[in-house]
Amino acid sequence: MSDTLKLLKSSLNMTRRGFLKTTAVGTAVAGGLVGKPRDAEAFAYEPYYTDDQLETVVTSCAHNCGSRHMLVAHKKGDVIVRLSTDDGTHEGAAYGTDTEQVPQVRGCLRGRSYRARLYSPERLLYPMLRVGARGEGKFKRVSWDEALSFIAEKMMYIKNMYGPASIVDQSYAGASWSVLHKSDQIEGLLGRFLGIFGNRITSWSVPSYQATTFSSRTTFGDIKDGNEDDAYAHTKLMIMWGWNPAYTFHGGNTFYYMRLAKQRGCKFVLVDPQYTDSAAAYDAWWVPIKPNTDAAMLAGMAHYIFVNNLQDQDFINRFTLGMDFGTMPNWAIARGFENFKDYILGNGYDGTPKTPEWAAEVCGVSADDIKKLAHMYATTKPAALKASWAPGRAAFGEQYNRMAAAVQSMTGNIGMLGGCAEGVGKAWSGEGVGYPYDKYANVWFQAIKSDCWAHCVLNYPNVKREEIGLWERPDPTDGQIPNIRAIWWQGSDWFNQLTNINKEIAAVHKLDLTVCMDSTITPTAIWADVVLPIATHFERHDVALPWYKGHYYIHRPKVIEPLGESKTDFQVFTRLAYMLGFGPIYNPKASPDYFESNENVDEAYLRDWWYNRVVPNQLIPQEQEIIEWEEFKRRGIYKFKYDHPHVAFEEEIKHGKPFPTSSGRIEIFSTELANIPDFTKTKYGSYIPPIPKWIEPWEYLGAKEKVKEHPFHLITPHPRWRTHTIFNNVPQLREVYEQEVTMNADDAAKLGIKTGDTVEVYNNRGKVVVPAYVTERCRPGVVVIHEGVWMDLDENGVDRAGNPDFLTLDEPSPAGAFAYNTILVNVGKTDLVHRPGWDKLATARSHVFRRDT
Amino acid sequence: METQQKDTAKIKEAIKRRKRVVYQPVVPDMQLGFVHHNVDCIGCRACEMACKDKNGLPPGPRFRRVQYVEGGTYPDVYAYKVNMSCNHCAQPACLPTCPTGAIWKHKENGVVDIDSTLCIGCRRCEAACPFGAPQFDPSDGLVKKCNLCIDELEAGRKPYCVAACMMRVLDVGPIDQIREGKFESKAIGPHDTTVRAIKNLANPNLTNPSIAFVPHSKAKVDI
Repeated sequence: MSDTLKLLKSSLNMTRRGFLKTTAVGTAVAGGLVGKPRDAEAFAYEPYYTDDQLETVVTSCAHNCGSRHMLVAHKKGDVIVRLSTDDGTHEGAAYGTDTEQVPQVRGCLRGRSYRARLYSPERLLYPMLRVGARGEGKFKRVSWDEALSFIAEKMMYIKNMYGPASIVDQSYAGASWSVLHKSDQIEGLLGRFLGIFGNRITSWSVPSYQATTFSSRTTFGDIKDGNEDDAYAHTKLMIMWGWNPAYTFHGGNTFYYMRLAKQRGCKFVLVDPQYTDSAAAYDAWWVPIKPNTDAAMLAGMAHYIFVNNLQDQDFINRFTLGMDFGTMPNWAIARGFENFKDYILGNGYDGTPKTPEWAAEVCGVSADDIKKLAHMYATTKPAALKASWAPGRAAFGEQYNRMAAAVQSMTGNIGMLGGCAEGVGKAWSGEGVGYPYDKYANVWFQAIKSDCWAHCVLNYPNVKREEIGLWERPDPTDGQIPNIRAIWWQGSDWFNQLTNINKEIAAVHKLDLTVCMDSTITPTAIWADVVLPIATHFERHDVALPWYKGHYYIHRPKVIEPLGESKTDFQVFTRLAYMLGFGPIYNPKASPDYFESNENVDEAYLRDWWYNRVVPNQLIPQEQEIIEWEEFKRRGIYKFKYDHPHVAFEEEIKHGKPFPTSSGRIEIFSTELANIPDFTKTKYGSYIPPIPKWIEPWEYLGAKEKVKEHPFHLITPHPRWRTHTIFNNVPQLREVYEQEVTMNADDAAKLGIKTGDTVEVYNNRGKVVVPAYVTERCRPGVVVIHEGVWMDLDENGVDRAGNPDFLTLDEPSPAGAFAYNTILVNVGKTDLVHRPGWDKLATARSHVFRRDT
Repeated sequence: METQQKDTAKIKEAIKRRKRVVYQPVVPDMQLGFVHHNVDCIGCRACEMACKDKNGLPPGPRFRRVQYVEGGTYPDVYAYKVNMSCNHCAQPACLPTCPTGAIWKHKENGVVDIDSTLCIGCRRCEAACPFGAPQFDPSDGLVKKCNLCIDELEAGRKPYCVAACMMRVLDVGPIDQIREGKFESKAIGPHDTTVRAIKNLANPNLTNPSIAFVPHSKAKVDI
């Protein structure tokens, strides 16, 4: 206990006082009803129970943000009365313990609002079958048997009629990255289930970060290019490129370690069309850039660094491939490939020097500012250029990420504390698999780019493989266009989240089966034939871990009984597997009664995971405390302790270990890409240059013809008050954050738009209605709508909620990046109505927002 | 004439009879107060949500309010946050307005509290408070507000908002110590000093609120 707390405690009268008398007990006395305690309610002002009158259970949040924070449930009977978070005591330390080495993992606003989601009116309690038209939202309650029999029969029919590539696996991370109950695009519970069944099309491109995944694999040979977040505290210059940790909470304590860096003198820069809260909190120099022009600005910086000889030539010579002539492989020179430096200086095939002046024309940042930033970055050591995911969610987004990796490499800021090679940013690797993992983990019969399914359905069979990004197969089925007949959504709200929703709506009517498994009704569930109620993470046994940054495990016991008739995903798949004849293969530890009773089996899986994966691989004697499974369960959290922050590629740089690329070097020039003879026969579908280049996106402010009709570039970043679509139904969050379009004050004035006006944002693909937030904090020509709001269509197909994916184009970048931020639109005042939520809750921000001139 | 004299006498008598009762503020043994870092706060509102959850509040009443302030002209802009709940003032404006005596100030720590069994929901305190702390809840017709999680203080823990703060920019402690720079807290950085007043906030001389800020450069005022 800190001195402060001791002081607080000693200065307080510790006897029972008026407050408690007048609330928890007082109401009963006043009403003359002494002696009859009322049952606990989830949202009750009274009766009030203090934390110490309630049962305490350590658990965690479970939404797909990349972080994972502790939630402590305080419950009475079977009702969670409130949630608190890490206070240091659960790891066995004194209350308040919170050090730089072992910080508390405190939940964010979303985590803290979890009860409102758990007990929401949108909570699914019973299996349901569609009775109206698809999308009409009319369902009837049925028994589990009826629902599952319906699905099993349809699955058999589809498989017999259309073969093994006709059901699309659209599982996603709605209940992500727990050890046992995992919904995941590639290797989750659904993937294994459909794989064993023998009918699965997998969706291979990841909506959030495919550009950077491609870039990091290509450049470094590994997506684990991230430092642990405590490393951020040691940087001297932090360039947040399109990165807003104040919104994404990416990593357990990233934002806090950056505060420590600021206190230690670190300078911050933000390259972003918006002056974000991150810029404000870290007092950053704001460089407002035109969207989708990041690769050009980075090329301009590279030019400045090269011509002023500020590059770390020793680092380049030792570790990179194709940065300049000297590091180019002989075979590549012989075949006439250009190196990166030649491309930048204009000695390559296009003959254009990528000078800061050239870049300024493209990206809208002055040449002086480009030079200033390049100089700062090249001369400050260590400096972190954090190339975040958002600018990569664009046409040719992979070029931005590859270009950033090149600039990170040329300044030698890789593999050193305080530097940065991110990128993907994945750092510490937990043992994430406690579910059965075998040869069926990822069986698939075709794989497509994830937002191409609707295009495939609508044009089948006249579809070219390159249009849908068909993954290569080593057998005669290579290149066969799948006849998609069904979609399965597990922990996934993809119908609301993939690009060009109007095209999805046209395609979904052609399917034979749509299944949705979720804990709450979602916009996707509305389009399902069968809706299955899934137990939340409060209602089943598991272990949580962060997948991005942070090094700890959090135990998640079953806190309360599943609400209604909900079952876990694993129970549902196991039951279906028994019905389809492969139950024991799917869930080897279970018996047929697993659907009724899962506790012993789940415990056995988790215990095995602890003793077979964690203890031998991670609890290394001398370095870590070894604890038993029962002890871990008792504490609720295990935090690993490291003497030094984990830094990506430290082994490679300090000890000469080869990078896991084919050349063993940082491949600015990609061996793999240079050796692809025909891109249309690959998953990429079209050409990707072996070195990073600026490639003009199909829609941006520089597209002179297109901007005449649609003069604004719309970007769609991740909101703070939702995790994608999760938590959109929590009115306590919507009360303080509005789904709105952010626009520059000058732009708004020209259109006569003021903050609070209802406007329509539209292009040829769709139209959405939102209130406007007019601000000086946004670059002119740019408008912003946060992704993930639950669509709410009027009779003309206009989205009243403001889901920007009615405006996006379903054409992914060659490397698979979703073009979520490549949208031209127009904006105008409207008489159409905006609806902030399905519950019609009115929200107002006038009382929370004000302008200070 | 006679009537007039009679009235005058009557009035004088009435004035004598009416002993003006002046409210004597409770002087606490130790006054607790908040400290908030306006700049380093990312405005995430985890504190707000933790507070709502702890108190079982529906949308509507907000005991804690993170306010966003922004200014400047593109591209030279600035933004900061002001995070307030009840300031547990030394001379609370709400307290004397309460017709039922439902509001009182704790002697031992200066927490201003409402006894909800006495509250009639007249909302006079809401009107009186210059900081917007008392919150009317239409679902049960009561005015409610932050009581500094006095149950948590009793248990030797910090209030939910403070314990929730992901950036560690919000803290609670003896306000005198905070003001004198003697209070050790992560909310106050190594080179930071605190102030009583910031721009656009009600004059602290009105009620002497128990709150200190590490101010944004654009929010500094002379009081």
